[in-house]
Parts: sequence; C-alpha cells; structure tokens
Amino acid sequence: MTTFALPLVIGVAFGWTLERAGLGSARKLVGQFYLRDLTVFKVMFSALVTAMLGLFWLGRLGVIDLAAVYVPQTFVAPQSLGGVLFGVGFVVSGLCPGTSCVAAATGRLDGVATVAGMFAGVLLTGLALPSIWTFYESTPRGAVTLPDALRLPYGAVVFGVVLAALVGFQIAERLERRA
Amino acid sequence: MTTNRVLAFVALVLAAGAMVVGRPSTTPPGHIDVDRLAAMIAHEDDHVTAVELGTWLRDGKPGLRVIDVRPKADFDEYHLPHAENVPLPSIGKASFRPDETLVLYSDGGAHAAQAWVMLRSLGFTNVYFLRGGLGEWLDDVMTPMLPTDATPAEREAFRKIADLSTYFGGTPGVGPRPPASSTSEKVKAMRRRGC
Repeated sequence: MTTFALPLVIGVAFGWTLERAGLGSARKLVGQFYLRDLTVFKVMFSALVTAMLGLFWLGRLGVIDLAAVYVPQTFVAPQSLGGVLFGVGFVVSGLCPGTSCVAAATGRLDGVATVAGMFAGVLLTGLALPSIWTFYESTPRGAVTLPDALRLPYGAVVFGVVLAALVGFQIAERLERRA
Repeated sequence: MTTNRVLAFVALVLAAGAMVVGRPSTTPPGHIDVDRLAAMIAHEDDHVTAVELGTWLRDGKPGLRVIDVRPKADFDEYHLPHAENVPLPSIGKASFRPDETLVLYSDGGAHAAQAWVMLRSLGFTNVYFLRGGLGEWLDDVMTPMLPTDATPAEREAFRKIADLSTYFGGTPGVGPRPPASSTSEKVKAMRRRGC
C-alpha cells in the first residue's frame, strides 16, 4: 500500500508546491536565464537546504538511517552530456521535468508538449541503450558525496552549503530588484 | 523580522549546530551499539539465506557487493559469482561505501558473522552475512533437492529455486537428500564439474 500511496502523496504535494511557487509557467522559469526572476534558484536551493538539514538532524536524532539513503552513482562523461542536453531542453521549452508535469496538469499546452517530448526521449534512449551502453557506463566514479569528495566533516559541508544558499538568496534578490 | 529572515536564521542555527556535532550519527566509528546489534540478531536481520543472495545476484541488486572473507587460496579454489576476496585480517582496511549492500561469507557462518560485527562497529549498516556460508550456497543453490514426497506448495517453491540453480549452472535434483559431506569435498566436486 505504502509503495504506491506514499509516493502519490509526496508527488501531489511536490507538484502543488511547485505550482504555488509559480513554477508551472515557462515565462517565469526562463526569467532565470536572463537574471530577471530567480524563483527557480530560490525554490530549489530552499528545498535542498531543507532536505539536507532535515536528513542531517533526523539522522543525528536516530529517526532515520542515513546509510540506507540511496546515493546515485557518478559517471562523469555520460552525465555531463546528459546535463548539457537537459540544459538545452530547459532553455528551449522553459520547463524542466517536474515543472513540465505541473504545467501539463494545469492545462498548459507547452507543458503537455514538453511531457510528450520527455517520454519520447526516454523511450528512444531505452531503445538505443544496447548500442550506447559502453558510453553509458564510462568514466565511473562510484557514489560520491560532497564530504567524501572535499574530505571535510559532514557538518562542515552542511554549514558551507547553507551559507552559500543564504548568500545566494541575497544576491538573487538584488539581481531581481535591479532587473 | 520577516518570515524569510526567521527561516534564514533557523537554517543558520541548524547548520552551525551541524558543524559543531560534525556527524549525522550519534554512534562514533568503532563503537558497537550492543543492544541494537543484539536486537538485529534476535530478529534475524543480520543475515541472508543462500537463495536470497542468489536472487539478489541474479536480479543485479544495485550496490550489492559479495565479500569472501576466506584466505586467498580458498577463494582461488572456488568462490561465489561476482564475489571479491577480502580475507578476514584485512577487513578493516577494505574500502566500502555506506550505501553499498555488503554480503559476507566464509566456509561456515562464523568468520563471516565475526566480520559482520567488525563492519557494524565501523559504522556500516547495510551489511549481512550468508547464514550457512559456502556450504549453504552449494546445498541450497547449486544442488537443491526436491523430496520425492513433496507437497504441491513445496514443488511450486522448488520450481523457483531450480530456476535460480540453473541460472548459476547448478544441478537441481529430485530424491532424498544425499548424505551430508564436508564443504571442501563439495568444492572439489564443483571444480570437477568446471564451475
């Protein structure tokens, strides 16, 4: 039951929050690339900081087992290419995967087109996977986390990321006022 | 003070606290939480069966690493598919990641169980050991036997195990279980069959 119900509840809550933050609109999203409207940056970095502080302290209080949290593997070359493809798609459509679903759910046609394009891309990649498998698995670096990569204590990294977020928010607000 | 400033202040306080405490875990590395380990052992959360391990291997469970803690000579003679050799004396120096699922095995279960305690004390939580060791693997996966008087439910369960056995090049059979022989004899028999 929880396998389906819990992700559904979390997904609806996530979508609702994105829509309330105004991220169902491609106009608002592309504003980020022209430094006019940095809502995406602020929403995503806020979510990141909230999740990070939540995970750290829930782990510290013994509520969750951090070792059981899945850390995705890093593959430098294929993920770099994927990142570039993602960025180009983001600028062209003005939407990312989550916000395209929100846009589609609220009846925006550009959202429906982006979701359709996304599923077509997933299908094509899946079909092409046998022929691109060597590249897909190339340059593996394992499951790397920031404390491992920077060789810093976990708590120091948490503090650094929160500080970067708060400074980033200040800069973002100034840029928005100037625009 | 605006809501944004309050939230920023709370985040900063929590982050400063994180820097002070350092780790998101109360158990320092090298410390054994005896009550917790005892409860895990009582609930049998510390080990996997050979059939469970075989299923994980066949299905390509993400992050799975099978660790053979026997001496290198024994490992070279016979080991589980995809297993890595980390002899018991060097288990503390091995490089494991916290998100990996580690399954330890030895000839019986004792050395793997001891290695399990050591890795738990180093802070690894996704660690299991093969309950009956290599012997259980050879008995339950490589040469599973369906009793001739098996019930329909047992036959159905055996069909899945037989599929698993065939996947690993084993020989599922029907009949009374052959007299128990030592692991080393079974290993030699496996080598003769070219496994």
